[in-house]
Amino acid sequence: MTAMMIREVLAACIFAAAVLFGTAGVIGLFRFPDPYSRLQASALCGTTAVLTTCVGALLLAPSWAVASRVIVIIIFFLFSAPTGSHIVARFAWNAGTPVWRPDRLRTLKGRRKAP
Amino acid sequence: MRPEGKWRLIRFSITALAMFAVWMLFVWSLDLFSLAAGALGALGIASLTYDVFIARHQANLRFFLPRPVHLAIYLCLLFLLIYQASFRMLAAVVTGRASPRIVHFKTRLRSDFARMVLANSITLTPGTVTLDLNDDHLTVHWFFCSTTHSTAAGNEVKGRLEAYVRKVWL
Repeated sequence: MTAMMIREVLAACIFAAAVLFGTAGVIGLFRFPDPYSRLQASALCGTTAVLTTCVGALLLAPSWAVASRVIVIIIFFLFSAPTGSHIVARFAWNAGTPVWRPDRLRTLKGRRKAP
Repeated sequence: MRPEGKWRLIRFSITALAMFAVWMLFVWSLDLFSLAAGALGALGIASLTYDVFIARHQANLRFFLPRPVHLAIYLCLLFLLIYQASFRMLAAVVTGRASPRIVHFKTRLRSDFARMVLANSITLTPGTVTLDLNDDHLTVHWFFCSTTHSTAAGNEVKGRLEAYVRKVWL
């Protein structure tokens, strides 16, 4: 009984971490100005949130059958998540979207060049 | 049997076996029904798609078969790097401090599969998104850029990842 309780508390902590990452992803999505940086924040933090949730589910798995399915989901997710964000980034890059540079003002001072 | 036909048979059987393994992992039972359904499905799908999964010109078994021990080490490293990058991104979201740039560099990996894995790992890990992958040339959006020099940026971004991928796949 106590072993189950320890597992549940640990899983709750892991789920809390997942919520933290997910929230950071959403904040980053609205905070940064250009598509690449938004993608960085949302894709990376989103991936980590889902991965963390899966690890928590793995901890709570009642049997090996369920655990193996969670592992298969993790493997598929590790393939599909970066591929999805890569496709969006590639389209932005091919469309010629300029990159946000926070220090643009300092580096281009005096040159009066249009961005 | 001619080498061409032999190579086709090898590709077909590897695809079918991999699909059957994933199926077994997913159903996790040894009933006659699930075994038969898995075998039939794996053979049928593999006969249709083996040419897509393992292209004809990938003529080396090490190009797509991972070395198990090194694969395990690589996955552990990947998990570690994902979490490290996420905490860094968490800090960047809070402070709003970043130096995003686009950098180009080359990879020394030879097979399509290994390059795909490297590009995916780069997208997952240290605040970088792969924008384009042309043969061995990678275009990467780097969120915490410290240099735009090609070789230096390559070392910084790929770093240990490429060395480990080289041990797993050729």
